[in-house]
Amino acid sequence: MNRMIRYKVWACVWVAMMLLAACYSNNCPLENTVTCNYAFYDSEGNAIAYGDTITVTTLMPGYKTVYIYRKLGNLTVTKEERDEALIEQGYTETVTQQRRDTVLINQKYGASSIKVPMSYFHEEDTLVIAYKSISLRDTIKIQHSSFPHVELPECGTYRFHSLRNITATDAAIDHIEISNPTVNYDGNTNVKIYFNGVAE
Amino acid sequence: MTVMRKYLTTHHIIATILWFFAIAASAQNEPQQQQTLMPGEKPKPTKYVAIEEQKQHLVLFQGFTLSVDAYGPVAYAVSDYGTLEAALRLNLKNTFFPIVEMGYGKCSKEDFNTKVSYKVNAPFLRVGMDINMLKDKFQSNRLYLGARYGISKFKYDVAGPAMKDPIWGGSESFSMNDIDCTSHWAEFIFGVEVKIVKNFHMGWAVRYKREIASTKSDYSKPNCIPGYGYTTNSTCWGGTYSLIFDLNWGMKKSHKRGVNIELRDIPQTEINTNNQQEENGEGKQNGTEGGEKDGREENDEPTKEEGGETL
Repeated sequence: MNRMIRYKVWACVWVAMMLLAACYSNNCPLENTVTCNYAFYDSEGNAIAYGDTITVTTLMPGYKTVYIYRKLGNLTVTKEERDEALIEQGYTETVTQQRRDTVLINQKYGASSIKVPMSYFHEEDTLVIAYKSISLRDTIKIQHSSFPHVELPECGTYRFHSLRNITATDAAIDHIEISNPTVNYDGNTNVKIYFNGVAE
Repeated sequence: MTVMRKYLTTHHIIATILWFFAIAASAQNEPQQQQTLMPGEKPKPTKYVAIEEQKQHLVLFQGFTLSVDAYGPVAYAVSDYGTLEAALRLNLKNTFFPIVEMGYGKCSKEDFNTKVSYKVNAPFLRVGMDINMLKDKFQSNRLYLGARYGISKFKYDVAGPAMKDPIWGGSESFSMNDIDCTSHWAEFIFGVEVKIVKNFHMGWAVRYKREIASTKSDYSKPNCIPGYGYTTNSTCWGGTYSLIFDLNWGMKKSHKRGVNIELRDIPQTEINTNNQQEENGEGKQNGTEGGEKDGREENDEPTKEEGGETL
């Protein structure tokens, strides 16, 4: 009888082992988007939701041709294609070369943080923050180094970054600092932006 | 009809073989029946020695064994990862087996989907202990549970296809070589071992492995650790098929290939009984010499009755 019980115990152990071996999972990260995370604070260091609509663009390599139309008493219009209609309306046209850019965050309102991707192969990224309530813009320059990261071969390749230096203009920004220089998919805050003014 | 006859014949042969082994196996469990004595023959002295008492007679040092793993090279031939390893094991009282395992692990793989490749070649070391779980410590077959601590210091290479920047543009392939890493892990083992011929045993073991720690790198984490296996999960399974050779280092000549017994531990009454039997000329049947158990050299699995005769 004891022997039978012993055999049953061993059988159960083996079945459990086989079931464990049959389960498969991998250690690939679920959150796998690598972004530089910016958190917003007031000038005294209180976390805030910024009460303006912001648009973030980044400068890209190369130049593009832009057409600038000006008319006294009207807002300046900038277009990437020639507009004959504006000339007929009396606008003066100026053709110039500008750095190429692309919009990363489009008209975000009340944000307390933003997530911005970083370039893989450039030493410096330039972000331009445009505000809806003020005509001035802020330019943030981030110097960083990038390196590939392989968690596991089956998970693919990611590009991590290490922040070295960051500077910003002072249209709406009081000051800026790096809080965590390693940019990966962990979701930690990398940069703190302190805006002018104090939250009430 | 011919097929039917052949079918019956084959099954009859198999049934007969099974019956024969069943009888042989069950005979080991049944108590020894009274022998039929010929006229003038005296009954053989039999004496039951309890297993616990037998254990007391075992000498602590029972020799060394050297083993090599046959599974690792085969695994490498048919997959991306394999090992070449050998182990030196100390036998204490046929119960405790402190063991040192050393080997060389090799892994070379490329993921089918991502085309990321991984390479490592490095030595590893494991130390630990096996415990023979069988009650009868005198027999050569063993069923054991064990544990190991493993460590490997290695350098690995990772390479991948070109990475393309989706926003700023540009692409670049990468290759990271000689990334330093030290890994530690634990293993829990269940295995069996059987005697094939004199000094040669074979056995297999199943190993449940858990990674304790590995050096972190900014670039990657090791996908495969020599001696451990793949790190896809935090735990993994492994196995070994061992070819085991008994070594005679430090063994008395009379105890080679046998079980080393401490005679002085045996109760005086038992020795007196044996001496009396020898005087009657019964002990000579086994060719015992100086009270040692040379009879075991011929048969390495002494039964309880044999123990009585030898003692």
